Amino acid sequence: MIHKTLSALGAAAIALTLSTPATAAEGGPTIDMIKERGSLLCTGHNGSYLGFAEVDDDGAWSGFDIEMCKALATAILGSPDALQIIPVSWAQRFPALQSGDIDVIIKVTGWTMSRDTELGLQYSRPYFIGPTNIMTRADLGVSTPEDLEGGVFCINAGTSIERIVADYMGARDISYEALNFEKPEELRAALYAGRCDALAGFGPFLAATRFNAPNPDDFVILDAVLALEPEGIVAREGDDSFIDVINWMMSALLMAEEAGITMDNVDEIRANPPSSSIERLLGVSPGVGERLGLSDDWAYNMIKAVGNYGEIYERTVGDDSVYKLPRGANRLWKNGGLLYPLVLD
Amino acid sequence: MLKIWRNRTLRGTLIQGLVLLGTVALFASFVLTARENLVSQGIATGFGFLERSTGWPINFSLIEVSDRSPYSRMLLAGFLNTIYVGLLGLAAATLTGLVVGMMRISSNLVLNILGTIFVETFRNVPLILQVIFWYALLTHLPPPRGAIDLAGVGFLSNRGLMLPAPALSAMDLAILALGLLGVLFSARRMGGTRSGLTWVLGLGALAALFTVLLLTGRAPDMPLVSIPELRGLRFVGGLTVKPEFAALLIAIMMFGGAYVAEIVRGGFLSVDRGRLEAAKALGLSSWQIMRFVHIPLAIRAMLPALTNQYIWLMKATTLGVAIGYPDYFMVVSTSINQSGQTIELLLLLMGGFLAINYVIGGIMNTINARLAIKGRS
Repeated sequence: MIHKTLSALGAAAIALTLSTPATAAEGGPTIDMIKERGSLLCTGHNGSYLGFAEVDDDGAWSGFDIEMCKALATAILGSPDALQIIPVSWAQRFPALQSGDIDVIIKVTGWTMSRDTELGLQYSRPYFIGPTNIMTRADLGVSTPEDLEGGVFCINAGTSIERIVADYMGARDISYEALNFEKPEELRAALYAGRCDALAGFGPFLAATRFNAPNPDDFVILDAVLALEPEGIVAREGDDSFIDVINWMMSALLMAEEAGITMDNVDEIRANPPSSSIERLLGVSPGVGERLGLSDDWAYNMIKAVGNYGEIYERTVGDDSVYKLPRGANRLWKNGGLLYPLVLD
Repeated sequence: MLKIWRNRTLRGTLIQGLVLLGTVALFASFVLTARENLVSQGIATGFGFLERSTGWPINFSLIEVSDRSPYSRMLLAGFLNTIYVGLLGLAAATLTGLVVGMMRISSNLVLNILGTIFVETFRNVPLILQVIFWYALLTHLPPPRGAIDLAGVGFLSNRGLMLPAPALSAMDLAILALGLLGVLFSARRMGGTRSGLTWVLGLGALAALFTVLLLTGRAPDMPLVSIPELRGLRFVGGLTVKPEFAALLIAIMMFGGAYVAEIVRGGFLSVDRGRLEAAKALGLSSWQIMRFVHIPLAIRAMLPALTNQYIWLMKATTLGVAIGYPDYFMVVSTSINQSGQTIELLLLLMGGFLAINYVIGGIMNTINARLAIKGRS
């Protein structure tokens, strides 16, 4: 069934590509569907995934992934409220996308070869670089992994983190002791009790663990990155114009940060654009919307609604949030990070 | 045909053969179906993964392992860890049980009440809770830098108990073990009245030889005793009893001890009063009655129940997974996650515990048979 839907979609996409001129101003089938429905169906979580998709007592969603959903909804439909968050578990997200229950997966989904090639999915460029970090007790005065020589690492048993730590420490010839726990609860208890000097894991998980500690200030997350996992936004394979919109949405958020355009000063800058590329970005001169099948002020609306990439990061998982996750690889290229905007000509 | 059916022996054999055949066929079909399904899902089967390196380490092992060790060696390390904590746990539980059991049957009221409280407390709380309780207690000790100093040579912290240890190499230990075996063997061969003398001479010779070897065969500045010393984040040198191991051992000792105590009490109470009175009438002292009548008879009554208890306790070591003790179960379960070879690893897990418990059962049955009163079944 899924396969049939998929091939039909694929065929539709191919037909669309063939029948339209190269400078198409049309949205793909997904965008048409979203526009017709008047709302974007985006992923939430079954419960709260701290920092990325959290739901409060009133059922209101917040978090980094949710902000990305809002940005996409604003880009396509002009309003961050034209959005429905559908709660899905980790395992449900791919079938839910294929069956059309959701339009897009924005749910810290690592870009792996098997998912990209075997599940009928198409990835956008990474919107978040997921680091494997080390969190350690502040009173140890440790600043690099080398300082943890001989220390005890608490690690979730049976995860890829076990191997990542072994490789990283082995390559640097730092001796350590791995204490592996099956359950996150026991892992946390051991860390809070001081049984281990450090906890290695996915950066956001560490940030949430620190936030939930009896005293969060007792723990610091080291800058060192043991491994990276690029997280992409996922759409159904074959709808290239939808992926284009997602990639340019991401690019606009980064370009805004690079140019210092924020939620607060976007009107000011639009009234008096410093360069021609910013003129194009904010829709002062035409082109940015037409080529994607969107309105020309989509980027302006989006920045007005959710801010630039840095603002979204700091608000949800970074320094302005409770998690204080260092930006690390998620900084702009000019600040030593891995993120960069594409060229808007 | 009917005639064969009427023959009772033949009929019995035939039915048994058919049942056996059916069982084998059933299991064969299970294996084949599983294999077919796995192959159709593109999942690799077989034991080839045992040669691959694991890529992850464990923090406690009796043999040398690292993240570069193959699965087979990692599994062996886990297996030995299970046997290690299991055997020590059984011994500790037996000792505790003996003491508490004696307290329970003692005529001293205070001892009696203490014994009862012990049994009722530790027998009625689930083992997993006890394991987590002891672990929480041990990990709430001060960190290494604020470790409790035990006379400058030992330290107690949330990383465990650090004790001084004789700085012996594996070679030294091997020589020592071989020597002791030699002495034991020759003493037994000499036998009779001279065995005492052989023992003393043999041990003396071994001690002298070992001392000479120890003093000449090592670097002059190398100390004979390794004392734990705080270096950076950890203690270096000496011997470490890790909290995971200690918590599991204490829990098994207490929980098992409570059960063994009841078995001991039952064993002693099962001895017929008439026999004890008969021994008394023969003029044996109360110690002699204990040594030659009460204990031997009580042990016979205890053994079958003890066998069950030992096997049960051995399986209870798997609770180590809750507190991060890398026992066989934990290593297998991590291996399943990392290698995906679920069925093969579960077979190894079952085979391992089957082997351990079969051996325990076998030893206990042998002891039981030896102790059994001759002429009785």
